[in-house]
Amino acid sequence: MKSFFSIVIREIKSLRKEKTILFAILIQFFIASFSSVILLGIMVYYDPSSIGHNARVSLNVGVLGDSRSRFVNFLESSNHRVFVFNEPDKAESAFKAGKLDTIVFIPDADSNPNEMKIVLPDMDAQATLVLMLLKEPLERYEDFLRQQQGVFVRYQDVTGKPFTTNEFFYTIILPVLMLFPAFIAGSMVIDSICEEIENKTLDTLLSTPISLNRITSAKIIAALVVGLLQGILWLILLGANGFIIHNPVTILLLATLITAIISTLALIVALNFRDRERSQFIYSLLILLLFSLSYFLNPSPFSLIARLATGDPWMNYMYLLVYLAAAALLAVVPPLISKRLMRG
Amino acid sequence: MVFMRTVLIIAGREILRLRARFNTKMLAAVIILLVMVAVISFFILRQGAVMVKDLYIIGVSPSAPRLDDPRFNIIRADPREGIRLLNDGQLDVYLTGTALFSRQDDRSQYAVGAVKSHLLKSELERIGIEYPLNRAFPLRVELNYLKTSAAAGNRSASLTLADILESSSRVREQNGQPGASAVQPLNPAEHERENSITQAVRPSPTDEQISRQLADLQSGNILPQFKAQFAGDKQVVIPSLMNPPIPLAQVLLAFAYILPIFFISIFFTGSFIEEKMARKINVLLSAPVTPFQVIIGKMLPYIGYSLLIVIFITLILKGNLLLSLAIFLPVILFIFSIYLGVALQYRSYRDQTFFSLVAVTGITAYLVFPAMFVGISDLSYISPLTLAVQMYRGIPITVYQYLLSAVPMTLIFVLAITLGTRVFNEEYLLSFRPLYIKIREAVFLAMDKHRIAASVAVFSLLLIPVVFILELATITVCINLPRPLALGLCIFICVLIEEIAKSLTVVVSIERGLVRKWTAVIWLAVVSAFSFFAGEKLLLFMSLKVISESVFTTAIFAGNLLWLPLIAHAVCTLTVCLVTYRTGIRGYPLALLAGSLIHGAYNLSLLGVLR
Repeated sequence: MKSFFSIVIREIKSLRKEKTILFAILIQFFIASFSSVILLGIMVYYDPSSIGHNARVSLNVGVLGDSRSRFVNFLESSNHRVFVFNEPDKAESAFKAGKLDTIVFIPDADSNPNEMKIVLPDMDAQATLVLMLLKEPLERYEDFLRQQQGVFVRYQDVTGKPFTTNEFFYTIILPVLMLFPAFIAGSMVIDSICEEIENKTLDTLLSTPISLNRITSAKIIAALVVGLLQGILWLILLGANGFIIHNPVTILLLATLITAIISTLALIVALNFRDRERSQFIYSLLILLLFSLSYFLNPSPFSLIARLATGDPWMNYMYLLVYLAAAALLAVVPPLISKRLMRG
Repeated sequence: MVFMRTVLIIAGREILRLRARFNTKMLAAVIILLVMVAVISFFILRQGAVMVKDLYIIGVSPSAPRLDDPRFNIIRADPREGIRLLNDGQLDVYLTGTALFSRQDDRSQYAVGAVKSHLLKSELERIGIEYPLNRAFPLRVELNYLKTSAAAGNRSASLTLADILESSSRVREQNGQPGASAVQPLNPAEHERENSITQAVRPSPTDEQISRQLADLQSGNILPQFKAQFAGDKQVVIPSLMNPPIPLAQVLLAFAYILPIFFISIFFTGSFIEEKMARKINVLLSAPVTPFQVIIGKMLPYIGYSLLIVIFITLILKGNLLLSLAIFLPVILFIFSIYLGVALQYRSYRDQTFFSLVAVTGITAYLVFPAMFVGISDLSYISPLTLAVQMYRGIPITVYQYLLSAVPMTLIFVLAITLGTRVFNEEYLLSFRPLYIKIREAVFLAMDKHRIAASVAVFSLLLIPVVFILELATITVCINLPRPLALGLCIFICVLIEEIAKSLTVVVSIERGLVRKWTAVIWLAVVSAFSFFAGEKLLLFMSLKVISESVFTTAIFAGNLLWLPLIAHAVCTLTVCLVTYRTGIRGYPLALLAGSLIHGAYNLSLLGVLR
């Protein structure tokens, strides 16, 4: 056992010596420190309509046409400033001078269908922002016109919080952050094994009383320790950014089990191909495949992390046993094949 | 001829090495994995990608409307049981045919938001079926784009507001619907009745677009058509059916073009590291080949493979082949120059893996983040993805736009190759030293010891694209932070980067004893500052609009004045170099701090923050 732990410690020490891991953790720290701010930026890609919820921006809206329209009231009640113009030239000058964010041409309310025109700046991101900020008053006006036609949409008065930002954090950001260390751990195992094989240091180690299985297990344990530490760091930093994460210990346990599965697969790949280039290439493709396959699992690792983190009361902890069983089952494979593969 | 033949021999050997790697077992594994990924991705796309299932726990009574969404974990319960479970926290919401019950906590309220969104979607589908489209969706919004003074957009060209307003009345007239300024009817009441009848019968010209949007809503199609479009050009939208224009094209392009190049780079760096570890590099160095031939020869096959991938993807996406190659060749050179640095600096695999991860993150951020500002600022042209988006939109690319994107990347390639050939010796490649020492060593090896001033000038010039890229990344990160903090942090980091770039060669010259007199230090510092200033102004010339748009870049690239920035550069570089000359290399961090503080104060005074 002593020799086993000495290999684990040697692996971790060798990582500490290399400054780049500290650099990688520093970057991680930097990103997590600003995660709440960066999240809002990334949200634009996931759901641009979240801009309307997250940004407390009021627009300067130039209005042409029916200035007594109810739409003007809806604009004002959404905190936008309305400027009425009678001549398009003046509205255009104000828009080009940057005094207006948008120009709206409102036809008479009794025209059916009501064909409104919106002029947006010819700039993608700003046009998106303006359009998303106009969405709410536009929807209210649409509903007003609809009701005038005797058509009623139910559930309009149901309240509730805008959910997309929350959903994005728990279903994408958190699982990606928690599983990223697993990906790195697998990569580390490949590097470590291939380095030993190519430097012939593995032969030296094997000439001692330590078995090949002990060596490979020690390398996996070292990768697990690093992955676990990274996971703990993420949870602390996200917590410091104000994100509430339920069941942190169970999430860490799950992440560690997944790290164990991925590291063992990486080990099998490394023992099979025996050089870093091919092993890393196949491993990257394998990760891509596992990520796609996990979509068909229910609950998938992403689902499990999200449901644990949101405090799902129906969460069945037996699911963790599935991952434990998979990890245990996979752990049996390397000892079975390692000697044969090493001989080949 | 002999030069090229040697390069081709090395390239051929590299291809053979790669072929040996891709034996039958490897090829079979790659093909099987790729096919499986493709098949699974196809099924995922067909099903509609929902990352997390059963996120919300929804109790439903027998009379509740159907909730067909994988995000909902549906629990059937009668009202009494449902309310009890809700109060116990076992359900997030409870839905009956007539009411929706919830708690006040966040979890329950987010679930209410999600259920509401789902129910409203079903309602829109219902009214689209039950009522004529004119009644169900009575508001049609035509989106038009117009240039503002700050805009760099291309859709609106020379369009005016009058054109926009006129075009629709012309369309309406062509469709038999007079515009708002049509002749008043003699008998308004009769006209109104007639009008309402025709409106009820005659479909609106925009109905077709509405039907399409309704079909998209029913099929759950929320992704935009891939033609690198964010918001469609002059489209009619229904507010309640409006899919937000997702600015996703750059990310998709990055994945399509850049990801495979990252995969190829594994083999490129692997080749170097393997030869270093097996000490085969010694054999190469003793052969009658130059380091330049070795590096280019090893790189050539991988550049070739990357170009093949660009051709393949462009053909699939139906882009312009020649333009794609012109856009992505500098990107390929840039990526390989970064990986050349990784391969030459490191000796252990783990070190290489971590550094490669950092490189992947950095390169992706550099390519994707600026491209997010398409249409807002010419700053976005620093990323070739902006040009690619423009190409897929059919918008012409100007020479300056291309140069702004291609020149920094190509210069970085030149710098990497220059450094690479100079450090390509056994002692450097096989030594284990901290990164900062290896960088100083590389600079020393790269300098021409007989023309120190010329070396300093060339280095300062070549480092400008590196500085530009790092500063751009800094601006992109800092822009997310609250304004005062963002400005302070951004300026400090940027001036620090500039001061390191300007002083590096002079400090190495001092450390290695290439200069001994303080007058020589002053001379080199001034040369470095002048060279950096000249390069900076060249960059300014290429991206004049960029500089005038951003408050950050105004400060960092120091305005339009000529003498003041030159003096500022010289004073700051002199400070750093003279303090290092006095204190030795250990005092370099302190010297950098002093120079950066002066530089930062100058930039803040330009912005009017300091007076």
